[in-house]
Amino acid sequence: MSSRTGKPPMRSAAWRISLWATLAFACGTLLVFVFLHRFVADDIQRRSDAWLSGEVEVLGDVAERTPKDALYGRVVGEVAELAGKEVPNKAQTGSSSNDSVFFLQAGSDDRLKLWVGAGSGEANLQAIRASNILSDRPVDVRVSGFGTPFRVATIRMDDGSRIYLGLSERDELRVLKSLRLRFFFLWILIVLLGFGIVFFTTRRMLSHVRRITEAAAGIGHSDLNTRVPTTARNDEVAHLALTLNHMLDRIENSMHQLHTITDSLAHDLRSPLTAIRGKLEMSLSAASQVEQAEPIVSAIDEVDRLTEFLNKSLDVAEARADALRLTRIEIDLDELLRTMIDLYEPCMSEKGLQIRLRSAGPVMVSADAALIHRMIANLFDNELKHLSAGCTVTVRLEAGEQGAALQLEDDGAGFDPEVTLHLFERRVRGKESNGHGLGLAFIDAVARAHGGSAAASNRETGGARIAVTLPLASQREAGSAIAATRAAG
Amino acid sequence: MTAGQRFHDKVFIWPLVWSSFYAFHRAWPLVHENLSEMHYYALMRLLLVEDEIDIQRFLRSSLEESGYQVETASDGKTAERLAIEGPFDILIVDLGLPDVDGISLILRLRQLGVSAPVLILSARRSVDDRVRGLEQGGDDYLTKPFALAELLARLRNLLKRNSPPGAEATRYRVLDLELDLLRREATRSGEVLQLTPQEFVLLEYLCRNAGRVVTRSMILDQVWGMRIQPDTNVVDVHIYRLRGKVDGKGQQPLIRTLRGVGYVLKDR
Repeated sequence: MSSRTGKPPMRSAAWRISLWATLAFACGTLLVFVFLHRFVADDIQRRSDAWLSGEVEVLGDVAERTPKDALYGRVVGEVAELAGKEVPNKAQTGSSSNDSVFFLQAGSDDRLKLWVGAGSGEANLQAIRASNILSDRPVDVRVSGFGTPFRVATIRMDDGSRIYLGLSERDELRVLKSLRLRFFFLWILIVLLGFGIVFFTTRRMLSHVRRITEAAAGIGHSDLNTRVPTTARNDEVAHLALTLNHMLDRIENSMHQLHTITDSLAHDLRSPLTAIRGKLEMSLSAASQVEQAEPIVSAIDEVDRLTEFLNKSLDVAEARADALRLTRIEIDLDELLRTMIDLYEPCMSEKGLQIRLRSAGPVMVSADAALIHRMIANLFDNELKHLSAGCTVTVRLEAGEQGAALQLEDDGAGFDPEVTLHLFERRVRGKESNGHGLGLAFIDAVARAHGGSAAASNRETGGARIAVTLPLASQREAGSAIAATRAAG
Repeated sequence: MTAGQRFHDKVFIWPLVWSSFYAFHRAWPLVHENLSEMHYYALMRLLLVEDEIDIQRFLRSSLEESGYQVETASDGKTAERLAIEGPFDILIVDLGLPDVDGISLILRLRQLGVSAPVLILSARRSVDDRVRGLEQGGDDYLTKPFALAELLARLRNLLKRNSPPGAEATRYRVLDLELDLLRREATRSGEVLQLTPQEFVLLEYLCRNAGRVVTRSMILDQVWGMRIQPDTNVVDVHIYRLRGKVDGKGQQPLIRTLRGVGYVLKDR
């Protein structure tokens, strides 16, 4: 059973699920962004190409129609400069110099005829010559001295010269770069958001499962009234809770039937026993002779033994079926053992037995007082009946990891090897035994009903050892704390 | 040994032995019926609700012998009618009635204003929570089968609990036995008895019930605080030891064993 707060979130299933879900989500969104980026980049390219082709045609047209006089360079230069101001994706820079566009007219002899743009234009012309542009489609040209390539469109004039219009890709790249940056931050944001949502929803869902587990762990051992918490939602977790509760209903039902059977059995046997005992007592009070009294007295003793046998049998039967009704209170086993030894010591010393208690101090268990009293009385009765004079009984009590450990050791004859294996089964008893063989079965049954255990063995040095463990009160509190959180949630 | 001495043995010893046995068995019903109690509880009216005719019959006769005025009912309806008709000082209710659950009957009677204490008779060993609740409310329960002495003792306790409390006794005097509860000292004919604390508590319990029978389970319950039924003679050994200290040589034996029933501390 894990407590609510004890577990770090890193080790929960919700954490693992959200990690994997987030990984898948991140890959998916990354792919979407890559495609989106490509689409946008292509679109920007197409738009700038369309502008280039359009402008170079206009410029070609202008150059064609403008008379080739002294004003030619000025007119075409003005038009080219105007065109350069309408560049797509242009950065809003304060500088008047326009270095993102150039206009170049080269003669049929490949010499620079007209130049509009930053620098002398020679470098541009050389680069254009080197890349040998012929087609109408704009191509990339790398010009030495410029970090970013130019997109260059060309048109051929009737006089054999060529007009080139170049557009720097700097702005285009800048737009794409800022797009990528935005995509990246957006991606981080939605991945984190996705992780958060997945983590909290799975944690919420799994916390239902955990609450069901904790509740189910608290149920059992005669506490069958409680049910695991259900939710209003109609999902798998709710189904799990409902199924568990149905199962508990059925178990409680059969347990109830068992109680009814044992109760009616007890009633049917106890009523005649009561009548018999009462009548015997009345005739005892009327008997005036010793001879008459003696058989009545022994009959009363027999009735009492029969009653105790009946009580033990029913208790063992109920405990075997995990149906013993417990009323738990906190008991100090140390104090109880001292009282018990106080009670049994005279009887034991009368028989020539010694009894010693080895206990370090109070050991608190949460148990049914009546049953624990009878269990310990049974343990002591057992020693009294089976040990011969001169033996020593050592009672050890300690609180350990396993719970409260109670051990009775003696240096007597030990258990009959034939029955050692079946000590806790009902009705098993040694050849010499005069009990009804229920003592150890009862001890085992009570220990189990409290969530503990009992073991009997022969010691290597001779003698018998019976060990009983019971959960400590503090260990049980941890269990009931879950019930409290369940009630609160 | 002369013939005369043998004659003495035969003539004087045996009648003595027999008469002492006879005296014991004549005295025993007196003890059993708690004659001393009869005086106080002669007018106690008791309603016995029990469906088993056998049990009802013997309970009725032994309760009447003990000085209770007993009315009987075999089912819940009759019980309810009787309880409303006449005021009772105490009720004995069996849990397994044919027509109604005993606890429901008690709760119903409480609603109807019947406030007399109830002794619950149960055939179940494990007591359910509702019985526990009633127990806390001032009622008591007894599991079947029970010793009559225990039933009577529990009835007395219930009646005592519900009567105005008197000053708590600080010393008991039973014939020539004296117990000083404050100094935790017991004396017999002026001689201080060397008792262990446990033996003192046991003797105190016997003194408190002087003249009345106490059973082994009553002793275990009251002195050691356990409802157990050991199948060994643990209580007897305690009583033997106590008797060895209280009833010295030449003194009148005070602690009597009533075989099959329990013990009694003689007060007369």
